[in-house]
Amino acid sequence: MNSMAIDRRSLLLGTLAFVGTARLQGAFAAAGASADDIAYVSAMRHAQGSYGVLLLRADGSVVREVPLSGRGHDIAIHRPSNRVAAFARRPGSFAVAFELDKNSPPHIFTPGDGRHYFGHGSFSQDGRLLYASENDIETGMGVIGIYDVASGFKKIGEHSSYGTGPHEIMLLADGRTIAVGNGGLDTVPDAGRVNLNVDEMEPSLAFVDAVTGKLIAKHDMTGELQSLSIRHVTQDAAGLVWFGAQWEGSPSETPQLVGSAGPDRALKLIEPQGKGGSDLKGYIGSMAVSSDGLTIAASAPKAGHVLYVDTRTAKVVGQSDLKDVCGIAPEGAENFAASSGFGVIRYETPRASTITERELQDVAFDNHLRRVG
Amino acid sequence: MMIRKATLAGLFTFALALQTAGIAVSEPLSHEGMVKAAIEQHIVPHFNALKAAAEPLPAAVANVCKTGSPEVNRALSDQLAKTVVAYAGVDFLRFGPMLEKGRREQLSFWPDPRGYVSRQMRLILTKQDEALAQPGAIGKQSAAVQGLTALEYLIRDEEAPLGPDASARYRCLLAEAIAGNIVRLTSELAEEWEKPGGWAEKMLKPGPENDTYKSADEAAVEVVKALIVGISLTADVQMKPQIDPKIRLKPPYDKSGLQKPYYTATVTSLRHLYNALQLESWLPANRRWMKDWANGTWRTLESSDGAGGRAAHAERDDAPTPREVFDRANALRNMVANRLAVTAKLTVGFNELDGD
Repeated sequence: MNSMAIDRRSLLLGTLAFVGTARLQGAFAAAGASADDIAYVSAMRHAQGSYGVLLLRADGSVVREVPLSGRGHDIAIHRPSNRVAAFARRPGSFAVAFELDKNSPPHIFTPGDGRHYFGHGSFSQDGRLLYASENDIETGMGVIGIYDVASGFKKIGEHSSYGTGPHEIMLLADGRTIAVGNGGLDTVPDAGRVNLNVDEMEPSLAFVDAVTGKLIAKHDMTGELQSLSIRHVTQDAAGLVWFGAQWEGSPSETPQLVGSAGPDRALKLIEPQGKGGSDLKGYIGSMAVSSDGLTIAASAPKAGHVLYVDTRTAKVVGQSDLKDVCGIAPEGAENFAASSGFGVIRYETPRASTITERELQDVAFDNHLRRVG
Repeated sequence: MMIRKATLAGLFTFALALQTAGIAVSEPLSHEGMVKAAIEQHIVPHFNALKAAAEPLPAAVANVCKTGSPEVNRALSDQLAKTVVAYAGVDFLRFGPMLEKGRREQLSFWPDPRGYVSRQMRLILTKQDEALAQPGAIGKQSAAVQGLTALEYLIRDEEAPLGPDASARYRCLLAEAIAGNIVRLTSELAEEWEKPGGWAEKMLKPGPENDTYKSADEAAVEVVKALIVGISLTADVQMKPQIDPKIRLKPPYDKSGLQKPYYTATVTSLRHLYNALQLESWLPANRRWMKDWANGTWRTLESSDGAGGRAAHAERDDAPTPREVFDRANALRNMVANRLAVTAKLTVGFNELDGD
């Protein structure tokens, strides 16, 4: 690991990024709630433009809200310690960690000078470390930032992500391997969210040793798939990693956007039945696996669909419609909860049958919905 | 006469009742109407204007390379400026033909914080590969060397100007190839919109069999999204670098001094599209303040020259600061996305607009 100190300026900037402590928020707060009440976590936006992280019960009702001054993206969760970390969306540079069962002040941290976050991270299994996908702005190469939880999320090192624009990273079930969706897209905060290298992008799915930082395996998207930016990942019961992608090429040539691979398994896109990449409007916003590990859900917010794929056959078994759906998380053994930018949280089966639905007023759920535990 | 008076009084009473009920007095423009107006009044004319502006570029480059006189150099600069300004009017229409085949990046590679254009151009100029002068060859290279930004690089290189000298021979070959490629790209864009079965038809004939737009709502949302993207880009990449000293991003076509014309063309085009969509026609009487607010905001944006100064035809006496333009543009973006579009029954999703 490369030792790296966070300078005072960055720390102050990070502090400014957070507008409050994890206090209970007005209407979005419930008295007497405990960590056990919390089933889902998601970044969100209020209608008037303020941002936060919502902690929800299993039925979708709000336990409390943790306010953020900027737009969040994904949330890493470590259930044994009840700790969560919310990351700013690309190309933000703040992260906020707090404990579900305490109203103690949160930890605010930054990736340090010359880095920005891509919105995703993952705790180590023992909860002692937090990994985050980051950009080395000067070189445009991706890194995995490593933070020591015990020392207040001090950054203690970095691994290479072995690609450009790492988006979601996930510590796999072996507790040792990090799957990295290297989107291949180069961004510089000075140019906002503009992708700078669309015609020369080199996306890949990399598997990195979390301890040594060595590359275990890497699947490059080449040829006709060179414009397929891998962004989101999840892992099924058999250990296979599933990815959801964003197509940066001609819309008329959009391939399937969901596929799978492993360190020793070749990359393979799903069968072309059901919704194709074009019908999904070229973008998968979030991926999740059912608790039994047998079904993958992939949300397509631009198309307003959730696609359900049987991991054993790689075939689509269901597809549901929900306007601006993006967050997706397991519910029960085999079902899913899906959240939308219009405040809807819907529970449905992999066959796309709605179980129940709730709509929260004045809430736009952001890209990712995470199940606690 | 009495009847007319009675009729007028009745209409007035009816309008008052509608106002009281919060119902729009004028007939709102349908979603189909919005799409039609956007295409016919804004999109197609702007792409045709871009095509027309680009067409003389190859000849203008050839003239410079033949004589190198101040007159032809000036003519080339003028033609580049006209084309850049025309491009600024369509830059935010980032869907359909602009998205297909990466045409937008090929036509104009900006913002370029990493300096890809100069890096790639230096590489090409070092290699001096004559094959790049062949028809179609430059179109297979990096997007950074294909379009207006690459042509500007060659035109504005004071150390090695284009001209009849032998030392400029390869640069001239390259400039002519790039100019030809710009004509190809702008022609394709106009053609892809207007041809039978093209993008205009695709948007005007939505339905179950349409592979992109299943309904008029979807097509209208596409246009509204483009408007929102355009306002956001104006704030984030044209204005923000002027108010945040940490940001190091050169203005568009800075070497040619086109920052201000680029801004003006962008805002003029955005306002034109905004007017064509008539989102305000959906506002009930008790929300007409939004129309007034939007008018005031557009006036502010139009009163700026995009660089801290006052626009030539500004309606305001003072020059809006870059900070004010940035803030007002962001507020306008939110107004369009969260208020006007919603009132017009067009829901632009939080995640679908700008997912990640």
